[in-house]
Amino acid sequence: MSDHASSPPPGLRATIAAELRPVRPLRPPLVRGLALVPVAMVLLVAAPLVFEFRDFAALGWSWSWGASILQLGAGLALVVAALRESIPGRTWSRAALVTLAAAPVAIVTAIALASWQRSPIVLAGPGLIVGAICLTASTITALPATCLAVLLALNAYPTRPAIAGWLAGVGGGLLADAGWRLFCHFSEPSHVLVAHLGGVLVAGAIGAVGARSLRRARSG
Amino acid sequence: MTQRMPDDIRLQALMVSYQAGDLAAFDQVYGLLAPPIRGYLRRRTASPEQLSDLVQDTFLQIHRARHTYDPSYPVAPWAFAIARHVWLMHCRTTGRRPRATDAIDDVPLTVRAEAEAFADRELVRDALAQVTPERRRPLVWHHVFGFSFREIARRLGIREDAAKLRSSRGMADLRAELSSKGARPKDRDE
Repeated sequence: MSDHASSPPPGLRATIAAELRPVRPLRPPLVRGLALVPVAMVLLVAAPLVFEFRDFAALGWSWSWGASILQLGAGLALVVAALRESIPGRTWSRAALVTLAAAPVAIVTAIALASWQRSPIVLAGPGLIVGAICLTASTITALPATCLAVLLALNAYPTRPAIAGWLAGVGGGLLADAGWRLFCHFSEPSHVLVAHLGGVLVAGAIGAVGARSLRRARSG
Repeated sequence: MTQRMPDDIRLQALMVSYQAGDLAAFDQVYGLLAPPIRGYLRRRTASPEQLSDLVQDTFLQIHRARHTYDPSYPVAPWAFAIARHVWLMHCRTTGRRPRATDAIDDVPLTVRAEAEAFADRELVRDALAQVTPERRRPLVWHHVFGFSFREIARRLGIREDAAKLRSSRGMADLRAELSSKGARPKDRDE
């Protein structure tokens, strides 16, 4: 079989010609992801500045700021992963997606357990109410970063918008929680894993639903 | 026999020109990519008409996604990812809705005020068969199956206003055909 040259059908060519204009190619995902760095910086200090910083005496710099910066980096990495997922032909394999899904859980869990070991502060007051406050607040705090990351992903051409949105949302959630944990001094693992990690995962779900809905709306 | 893939270095250069707004570059990109994409989609659909629609839709989506192509990467994986996406979207759409057909006998001509005011259904069906497929399809899909012009445009790989225009011209052709067969508007008392 020879790959003979063929001309585009007249109707298609006319449509292309009518819409044709120079476009600037998207910059690489890593460069585009830098757009979230200012947002990440704000999120890192917003909650503790508005309320108060938790006591870092027991945690030390490593497990307070150090762990939060690590979490920040993980969040930005997931946003970059979302932006790469949004480029046709560069989507993540199933194995990579499993790793990307497990990574935030592993990171938050590891930080939570290490913090609990160094600074065990049991939840005071009604656990459900405090948990709900932390989950709601960290989810809301994650929305700006999630929205920006989802919009950046949709500016490409995600063939799996729900996956791209999920990655963007979890990334935004990690960014928000990186700052939130500098305020919330309750290090009880059940609280951190349910309320704080829960907020990260809810942000992921919001990103997935939002990206899919917006993609469908744009496609018509 | 496997289809030989086009020279990707040449394709990469053409894509850069296409991104810069060169229509001739698009023509060459189409010429190089259409055969392998057609082969890829041919293995997924038995209908030649559907195949043609899918190929056109793929290039329309390639056009809309051209800003995402990075020249430091090969073109083929990018283009085939879009083709696969088009195919999956087609499967989801046809799986959700009744399959719109071009076979006139399958068209359930129910209550359509204009046509019914003119003539009986067999006459309308015969007249509809004389309308060119390009115009008949949007006309039937919209007026009989209830697809919006936006949906029709997406399926056909054309703009929404083009879908409306084709439907409108199809309706004019249908009227002319019915008039030539001697059909006339029925009085309300008939």
